[in-house]
Amino acid sequence: MEMLKAVYTNEIFKISKKKKITVALIFSALSVIVLAIVVYSLNNFAGIRVTGSSEFSIMVLTILSYSIFPLFTTFICIDMFAGEFADHTIKFTLTGPASRIKVFLGKIFTVATFIIGNLVFVMVLSVVASLFINKNIPNLFKIIISYIMAFMPIFIFSLVVILISNITKGTTSAFMLSIFIFLTFNGLGFAFPQIKSFLFTSTFDWYRLILGNYINFSKIIRIFLILLGYGIMLIAAGYYLFEKKDI
Amino acid sequence: MDKAIVIENLSKKYKNNRGIQDINLEIDRGEIFGFLGPNGAGKTTTMKIMVGLMKADKGDVRINGYSISKDYEQAMKNVGCIIENVTPFPYLTAYENMKLWGRFYDDVDDTRIDKSLEITGIIKYKNEKIKNYSLGMKQRLGIAIAILSNPNVVILDEPFNGLDVEGMVKMRELIIRLSKQYKTTFFISSHLVHDIELTCDKVGILYHGKLLNIDSTQNILKNYSSLENYYLSEVDLNGDA
Repeated sequence: MEMLKAVYTNEIFKISKKKKITVALIFSALSVIVLAIVVYSLNNFAGIRVTGSSEFSIMVLTILSYSIFPLFTTFICIDMFAGEFADHTIKFTLTGPASRIKVFLGKIFTVATFIIGNLVFVMVLSVVASLFINKNIPNLFKIIISYIMAFMPIFIFSLVVILISNITKGTTSAFMLSIFIFLTFNGLGFAFPQIKSFLFTSTFDWYRLILGNYINFSKIIRIFLILLGYGIMLIAAGYYLFEKKDI
Repeated sequence: MDKAIVIENLSKKYKNNRGIQDINLEIDRGEIFGFLGPNGAGKTTTMKIMVGLMKADKGDVRINGYSISKDYEQAMKNVGCIIENVTPFPYLTAYENMKLWGRFYDDVDDTRIDKSLEITGIIKYKNEKIKNYSLGMKQRLGIAIAILSNPNVVILDEPFNGLDVEGMVKMRELIIRLSKQYKTTFFISSHLVHDIELTCDKVGILYHGKLLNIDSTQNILKNYSSLENYYLSEVDLNGDA
């Protein structure tokens, strides 16, 4: 446990020193601010009611779930795996006394922490912004549950990127392939709606299931189990490749 | 005698048919073992397997009695190493890199970090980012990291690369002092015969992936005028076997 803690602390320290984290936070903040200005302008000056105060945070979540969240998560995952393989800095960690499973898990926990941090940051900012838009207290419970649910598909996508990072030889190919898979899965969801429920990309907005008056728990559980299955398979496959890799 | 490192039937073959074949050797505690061989002989491959960066096709390595393939954490607990080249994180300072390494050990604090940087002569650059370091400075940092946790086994792949004359002499003195004072075992690879002759008390010659011979430096220098002559004679006699 001590080794895993040391790996995790090191990985958190490393990503905190990277400019990408600052850029991710700046872009996330800018997105919320721009959206807030647009919504406020439409609501007050154009006479079009776009969203209420609760819906603003959800609208932000929906837009960022398909753009900034997966994009910066991809950057972080590629840096932590393909990037370290490419510049050989992975040797620094792998010649330490922590076993590969602990290094792998430490890195995965770090990615999860980054996703949670980014979601919390955007949630707080969007709630604050929504107070200015509508001057009403938003339904915090629904917002918090939505942001918690949004974590899972983004995390699954990060596991896909980690798997790709362990297959490809460079950072560019890992990035291109990750984007290709993201777009292909989204495209498949549109082209073949019958297989949509099996594609993790179609669950990026699954928190919408708790927003209506009627909550379909069986569908929520079904999607949760599908995502859990994805998670288990991707962690197993990613670790298999990470463990077998000759440096 | 207490064995610090035991290598048994170690083999690894690459797609181009190069690699290492059936390497067997034992290194006593406190010994400075020199692994001598030309470029591409398989020195780095052997060392990568020794520290778990690569998997062997056959055979195993035991460090302090623990198998590297079955009990990695116990085997590597008391090991410091530089493999191939020093690869610290370029966007961090020397101190931050040392701190990353220190987190794996309970007894490494800031005083120990400063001490290691002082021994290797880079204490005044401790807060500079690695991307501004020269090759020699990176090499010194690598050695500082390798000795940070006071390991009883140190594995160094071409440790004198990039060092100036003064740096090489200091490193040699450091290796000999740690071996005598703390019984630290060193496994050093190099293609520089002179450095091996001056530093190591046992030498193994690796050629085309095969371990040709192992002997003590004392014995070798009794029978040959220099380690270089011994090396050339061994390669001549057994190199094509």
